[in-house]
Amino acid sequence: MKRIVTSAIFFLLLGCCDLQAQHPGMKTIPAGTYKPLMKTVADEITVGSFLLDEKPVTNAQFKAFTDARAEWSPTRVKALFADNQYLQHWDSSGAWTDEIDLMPVVYVSWFAAKAYCSWLGKRLPTLDEWEYAAAGKPEPGQNISSTETLILNWYSRMSGENHLSGSIYRNEYGLWDMHGLVWEWVYDFNRVVSNDDSRNSEEIPSGLFCGSASLNSAGASDYASFIRYAFRGSITGNYTMRRLGFRCAQSVQQ
Amino acid sequence: MKTQHIKKTMMILIVSVSSVLLWQSCTQQEQSRTYSDLTSEVTGEVIAELTDAPFVPARITAKHNTKVIVHLEVIEQPMRLADGVEYTFWTFGGKVPGKFIRVRQGDQVEFHLHNHPDNMLPHNIDLHAVTGPGGGAEASLVAPGKSAQFSFRALNQGLYVYHCATAPVGMHIANGMYGLILVEPLEGLPAVDHEFYVMQSEFYTSGGFGQKGHQEFDMQKALDERPDYVVMNGAVGASAGENAMKVKVGESVRLYLGNGGPNLVSSFHVIGEIFDKVYVEGGTLINRDVQTTLIPAGGSAIAEFTCEVPGTLHLVDHSIFRAFNKGALAQIKVVGDENHQVFTGKEKEEVYLPEGSAIQRISSGKQAAASSEPIPEKSLNERLEAGAILYKQNCMACHMDHGGGIPGTFPTLVNSDFLKARADKGIGIILEGLQGEITVNGSNYNNIMPAVALNDDQVASILTYVFNRFENGGGHIKAAEVAEWRNKK
Repeated sequence: MKRIVTSAIFFLLLGCCDLQAQHPGMKTIPAGTYKPLMKTVADEITVGSFLLDEKPVTNAQFKAFTDARAEWSPTRVKALFADNQYLQHWDSSGAWTDEIDLMPVVYVSWFAAKAYCSWLGKRLPTLDEWEYAAAGKPEPGQNISSTETLILNWYSRMSGENHLSGSIYRNEYGLWDMHGLVWEWVYDFNRVVSNDDSRNSEEIPSGLFCGSASLNSAGASDYASFIRYAFRGSITGNYTMRRLGFRCAQSVQQ
Repeated sequence: MKTQHIKKTMMILIVSVSSVLLWQSCTQQEQSRTYSDLTSEVTGEVIAELTDAPFVPARITAKHNTKVIVHLEVIEQPMRLADGVEYTFWTFGGKVPGKFIRVRQGDQVEFHLHNHPDNMLPHNIDLHAVTGPGGGAEASLVAPGKSAQFSFRALNQGLYVYHCATAPVGMHIANGMYGLILVEPLEGLPAVDHEFYVMQSEFYTSGGFGQKGHQEFDMQKALDERPDYVVMNGAVGASAGENAMKVKVGESVRLYLGNGGPNLVSSFHVIGEIFDKVYVEGGTLINRDVQTTLIPAGGSAIAEFTCEVPGTLHLVDHSIFRAFNKGALAQIKVVGDENHQVFTGKEKEEVYLPEGSAIQRISSGKQAAASSEPIPEKSLNERLEAGAILYKQNCMACHMDHGGGIPGTFPTLVNSDFLKARADKGIGIILEGLQGEITVNGSNYNNIMPAVALNDDQVASILTYVFNRFENGGGHIKAAEVAEWRNKK
């Protein structure tokens, strides 16, 4: 990981305890900057302080939502908002165990994830917020050499979603499993494949393919991050997938 | 001085630019001949037959251009890279290399790329046979559990590599995402008796060559271009030994050769044959009577020859350490009658001792021991299991899989009176090597076996395997015995 994260720790110390008392299960992420993977975006991006769920949303939590909002239940959801695999693991997993309760919810679409968050008065984190929070170093004493190794091993192990939410590792912001459990939706997941400048609209997708990837990126050897960006580029809002979940964010009241 | 130099440079520039222009106009004319005629009618449709290496699908025999529908599934799964070594491969169709695709010049190809729902990652496909942006890469980017479809017209004849081009491209290729697509002339390539598919590639693993267990991808080694494995058809021995390609004497063979890389260029050679014909770089230029042909990373070649005499042909990367130490070897077994007009076999053998020559050792026994960590003693079963793999890696090339050696050249290890008579149980032979005349089970041998750089644990496992599997009275040799012998010297 070559991202340089400068964090305003004082802010955290002053603000944390008060805010967290009001928001159980969320952590305050202090304002700071991070270096995005794509140099074409900017050299450095400033992220304001925000709240983020400590762990990815679990099956039990999402079940409470679909019980309360029947239009999001697997039988009633509109095809426009979720493809036909939506929550299919609830159906096929046989007996519903306590373990399944605590596993991250997957097979959820972007629309469903967004609706879940707003049901709780929250929202999805932006790509910048998510990347910035995920760049937090692992807390010491968890037997992890580097986040990059953890991610690369996760890619080859291919079994993260069968672990409990909050079981892989905790980072310096107190967040669990930003890597190594499931992919996570972000609000503007498709931002990397669209662009403000319409003249470049055809060029930008190729920014992540082949040779141009090495020219446009901040760290050409940051394979772990490339894959995350490529993943985001391959999905659309109604897609659901076996290894794709989410967590919610909330803005800090000024 | 300076201005003269500039003038000279300008002259060279002008000459070379004009010659490039000249050459371009020629090649353009030539190219227009090999391009498919886009006005030719495409009628009917077929589902493409896809095959795993070393096999090649039958050619499409329709007299007219047709629509060819290709369904290719991306599967990420752990598989064997070498005996006892497992790796999570990313594959086009479940094996490495990916499925062989065969179409004709002018055919319309409707391509479906399916990404298995259990996969972790998005994938796509860049077919070098495609004329269009990214070779289809952008049109085929697909998330796990989804399918993508695009179509292209096969304009140019040739043998082309396809590969995944999703970021990070290097890692997708390093994990096994490549294969070959053949675009042959409408009437097909000339008939031969056998066609085979062989593709070379490298793997960069967290542990060194032969280290057992599940291996992760090592990014630093990939950046440094220092692979632990260079293999033919996706794994050590994938198309050798029991899995060797088989032909008969007198039959003609065409090899469709590819190199997936990701980094190395292959010096492809068949030990014991000369290529009668090579389609250079898989294109339409034909070279004849070739010993070794270069296959660029992301490139191909087609080689043809006829097998005149029986025996085993070794297909190697003649950057030779890759073949004998990293796995870049495949085999064709040719069966049939000898033809002494072509090859006589050994007619005579005499001792040849030039003045002052000395035999170089691979390594002294003591050095090998010094660097090794203490390893706990294994049980008999663990020794036999480890020994079986180590024997294949270190001994099988000469003493053969069955332990019987090669009569007159490499001594047998089966029920060996020579071995059983030795007080050191053979430890000294492995640590020190052996040369000179010996008699084994009544036959004389005069050859050299070099010392083998193995640690105590490995030597113990190999010998336990040899004593138990090859009827030498069984027994369990311990690493401590090897260490004792080594320290005594």
